[in-house]
Formats: sequence, C-alpha cells, structure tokens
Amino acid sequence: MKWLKFAWLNTLRNRRRSLVTVAIAALGTAAILLAGGFALSTYQALAQAAARSSGHLVVGRPDQFTQDEDTPLQHGLDDAAGLRARLLADPAVRHVLPRVEFSGLISNGDKSTVMMASGVDPDGEFSVKGPFLSMTAGEVLAGGDSAQVMLGEGLARSLKARPGSSLTLLASTTDGALNALDVRVKGVFSTGVPEIDKRLVYTDLGTAQKLLNTTRVSTLGVFLDRMASTPAAQQRVAALFPALTVQTWLDQAFFYRSVRDLYNRIFGALGLIIGVIVVFVVANAMAMAIIERTREIGTLRALGTLPSQLLRTLALEGMLLGGSGALLGACLAGAVSLLLYVVPVQMPPPPGRSTGYPLTIAVDPLMFALTVAGMLLLAMAASAAVARKTVHTPVVDALAHT
Amino acid sequence: MSGHAVELRGVHKTYRLGQHVIPALQGIDLSVARGELLALTGPSGSGKSTLLNLCGLIDSADAGEIAIDGQAVTGLDETQRTLLRRDALGFVFQGFNLVPVMTVAENVDYPLFLAGVPAAERRERVAAQLLAVGLHDHAAHRPDALSGGQRQRVAIARALVKRPKLVIADEPTASLDSHTADQVLQLMRERGHAEGAAFVIATHDERLTRRCDRVVALRDGRLL
Repeated sequence: MKWLKFAWLNTLRNRRRSLVTVAIAALGTAAILLAGGFALSTYQALAQAAARSSGHLVVGRPDQFTQDEDTPLQHGLDDAAGLRARLLADPAVRHVLPRVEFSGLISNGDKSTVMMASGVDPDGEFSVKGPFLSMTAGEVLAGGDSAQVMLGEGLARSLKARPGSSLTLLASTTDGALNALDVRVKGVFSTGVPEIDKRLVYTDLGTAQKLLNTTRVSTLGVFLDRMASTPAAQQRVAALFPALTVQTWLDQAFFYRSVRDLYNRIFGALGLIIGVIVVFVVANAMAMAIIERTREIGTLRALGTLPSQLLRTLALEGMLLGGSGALLGACLAGAVSLLLYVVPVQMPPPPGRSTGYPLTIAVDPLMFALTVAGMLLLAMAASAAVARKTVHTPVVDALAHT
Repeated sequence: MSGHAVELRGVHKTYRLGQHVIPALQGIDLSVARGELLALTGPSGSGKSTLLNLCGLIDSADAGEIAIDGQAVTGLDETQRTLLRRDALGFVFQGFNLVPVMTVAENVDYPLFLAGVPAAERRERVAAQLLAVGLHDHAAHRPDALSGGQRQRVAIARALVKRPKLVIADEPTASLDSHTADQVLQLMRERGHAEGAAFVIATHDERLTRRCDRVVALRDGRLL
C-alpha cells in the first residue's frame, strides 16, 4: 500500500502534466469503447435481423443448401406439417415457419419483370418477425388470404401496381411446366434495400404451392426463445432429424459476417492506433517525470531501495495515470451511450439502403473491463519500460544528475 | 578485518576521462571505529567524495579491500550491496535529498519500511527519532515547509532511524548558516554516540572538524 501511496503522491507533483495525460488516456479509452460499442451494437442489430429473417435455425434437406435445383423445390421438404409438429415439441422452439422460395416472372399484362418470391405463413411470418418491413401502401398479408401478394416498393413502381391491382405470376412447376396464377396486390413494402425492393414478392404458402404445383416447402425456419439457445437447439434438432441439415442463422447471414469482418478490421486498427497513442503519451509523461527525479531515484537507491522496488512504484504511477484515464474514459463512453437513448441521433442510410437508422452504442461490461484492464497494463508496461534504464543507473551518476 | 564500522585496506580507485586515467585514490588504509566521528578534509579533487562513495557502497574500488562492520564487501553483487546499504548504512547529503512528496515522518519512516520493520515499531521509532532531533511537532509537514537546518535534521533522523553502523555525510553543513551548522553538528555528534553509529564526514568546515573525534586529510588521493 505504501508503494501505491508513493506512486499516487508522485502523480500529484506535476498536476498539469498528469491531468493532460489522464485526459488523453480518458479520451482514447472513450473513443475505443464508443467505436467498439457501435460495432457491437451493429453486430447485435444485424444478428437479430438475420435471425429474424431466416429463423434461428433453418431446417432443410442437405442438397437444399449445397446444390442448385433443376426444377423448383427439387430439394424441398415433403412432410412440413409433421416436421413442424416434432420441432414444436422442443422446449426452446417458439415458432416453426415453412417457406417456399421461388423465382419467376410477374406481369401487369403490359409488362413483365423478374421476381424473387417467398411463399410464407403470413400470420406467423409477419407477427414473429416483427417490424422488419415498412409498409408504404395497403396492408400486410394475413392468414386466410389467398391469391394475394405484397410487392416491394421498386417492383410496384415498375409495374405501376398499387393495392387492389391485378397481376399475374408465372413460374415453372415442380415438373417443369410453366404455370400462371392471377393475384391481387394487397400491400406494398420497403425492406430499406432498393435492390431487394425491385424484385421481392411475398405471397401466402398455399398460393405459392398452387403456382408451383407442389405440397413441398423449401425450408422450415425455426424461431427459438432466445439467441443464446441456438447452438444447443441446433444439436438437438440435428439429432432429431439425422437425414436433414440444420443450419443456424449465422450460416445463412452472409451480410452479417461480411460486416463483422470489415468492422473488426476497421475498429481493430482504430483501437490499435489509439492504444499506441495513449501508450506514447503515458510513456512520455513518465519519461519526463523520471528524468526530473533522477537525483531522487539515486537517493532512494543509496538508502537501499532495490531497482525492482523503484520499477514497481514507477509502474504503479503509470498505472494510476493510465488507469484513472481509462476509468474516466469508460464513464464518458457509458454516459454517451446512455445519452443516445435519451436523445436519439439518426444515422444516414448505409450504402445500398434507402433508410437511416438510430445510432446506438452497446455497453458491454466485458468489453469495458477488458479495455480498462488493457489500458492499465499498457500504461504500467510503458512506465516500467521508460523507467528501466534510470533505476539501473549507477547511484553515483544518478546522485550527480542535475 | 573486524571491530570497525568501516575498514579500508590498500584501496585504489581511478577514473578515465577520455584518454586520461585519473587516480582518485591511491592505496588508502583507513579504519573507523564504531561510534567514532571522523572528519575527512582536503581540497576539491583530493578524493574525499570518492572515498565517501566507496565507504557508502555506491561505488566500487578498483583494488583493495573494504569491510563494513566486519563484512567484506569485495565481490558482492549490486543487490547484495543495496541490501547492505539498506541495513547498515545511513546517508546525510549536502542538499538534504529528502523526498518532497513525503511528510517529515514518512521520510524518516522510509528506511524502516524498506527494511520490513513492522508498522507499530516503525511508528514508535520514527516518533522517538523526531523527538530526538526536535522535530516531533513537524511530523506531518512536507520538507518544503521546513528551513534548511530543519531539513538537515530530518535527514539525520532518516539516516539514524534504522540504527546503522556507519553514516556517510557529504558536506552536511555546507548549505547551512553558521548557527544552524553548529546545531546540526552537535546533533550528529549526540545522536551518533547515542545510536552507536560511526560518522564519516567530508567537510571543508573547520568548526565541524574541531568537534570530530578524528580528522583525516586527503591530498591527491592519498591520506596525509
């Protein structure tokens, strides 16, 4: 405790210099935590969106995930209802949503264009997934709706369609024939991604299966009680259906993985740069302090202080500067994160999207603890490194230092 | 080599200054008895400080033998020399060399803390030492709140608190006015005898040499 007190008293010798060092360490730590919190918040949002889109688990035949289809639903699931019932018996499973994915043409009579369509269970899909779509006109599909569709905003504009318009869906059936089905537009939506809105069509499962002339579904999306249940549930479901493949949302989330890889590199480099700056600032402050105290260090050595004891107290001094800066920075980052909940800040739309999003900064205790601990250790190491030479200077030379 | 606080036999020390080799000490034989006050005099460059540094184990001789309280120090590594300084030697510097961020009591306590003396005993010994040098009322003061004479008394208390065998004092009165210097000299003499510590004092001050038990003069690195 005496060494710590001595180190603390030493930090107070040149208060202005200590204050500047602490302030830079605080700002550096806050910058790292805010950048990390933003990345974490983005990961969480993208993970939730990915899991909400596909389901925490996606169950299908192995070829569904690895092979291209020769005909629609070639690798689809046959007994969707039976599988669904068995899946719902798992305690972590909340919903099982069948999905028919297909492509084809959509026409207003005068103009035809390519569509990417999903046949879904409307009640389950739109209630379980929550507000992932923004309706711009009409209504969301509901259970019992038949021969009705929801169009992406860009597709509706291209076909000059609005709620109530009649359109025709054209697609190959499972046996290779071309089939057509008249449908009515119930709603127009935006996913926030213009490229998707130009192609995407939602219809109910029955209409999709009727168009494709099948009772199969492409996959079953399994929604769990929480994200953390995913790995264990995957193992249980895989054991339950050994002939099927059970992927997690992460396997399906290419965009999430890309963003995470990119952000990890960007924010990792940023954190490294800030960490180096903080280390240099602490090291510089300590170097100045040590040079000024060379004679005193000589005195303490003459009195019988071992170099290791001096190194310890000087490292503690660096720890106090870096550590108090890191703690202040953590408080600052926490305060900014909380402030963003009270005073929301809207971010501009990311590339490829048409809507902005509220800026949120995640407060992750582990990230805070690791960052503060990291800053603390770096400051200690930097101080010890710059002090090493001086504490080993011959006592006579240190005492003669002016 | 025993029975003395410090004993030197045939000690040589040279310094190298560029191409030149400067002999600082040449064949020094010297013994200082326990409790003795020895004044070391001589002009600047005579080797006083070098001899003090060797006696204080903060420098090493090129040749010869040195023993502190009967323990030969030749061949000791830096850690062993540091521990011997911690346990057996005290220092009084011309510039006081107190730690400015520590209080008077903390400065005096420091050597005991280094030596691992239990806290309760440290408190008692520090209080007794400050009482002995007349600074018990200033225990909580910082050195910069004290006069030069008071600071040197703190330094004497710091040197004697661990009951050393030998105290090395380099021009202890050079920064003090004559009245204060007298008081400090008197204090060193009294406290040295009371604690049984020998003093080796480098000085130009004749008043100081008159009060010492023995005076040794150095010239060109040799004892006269």
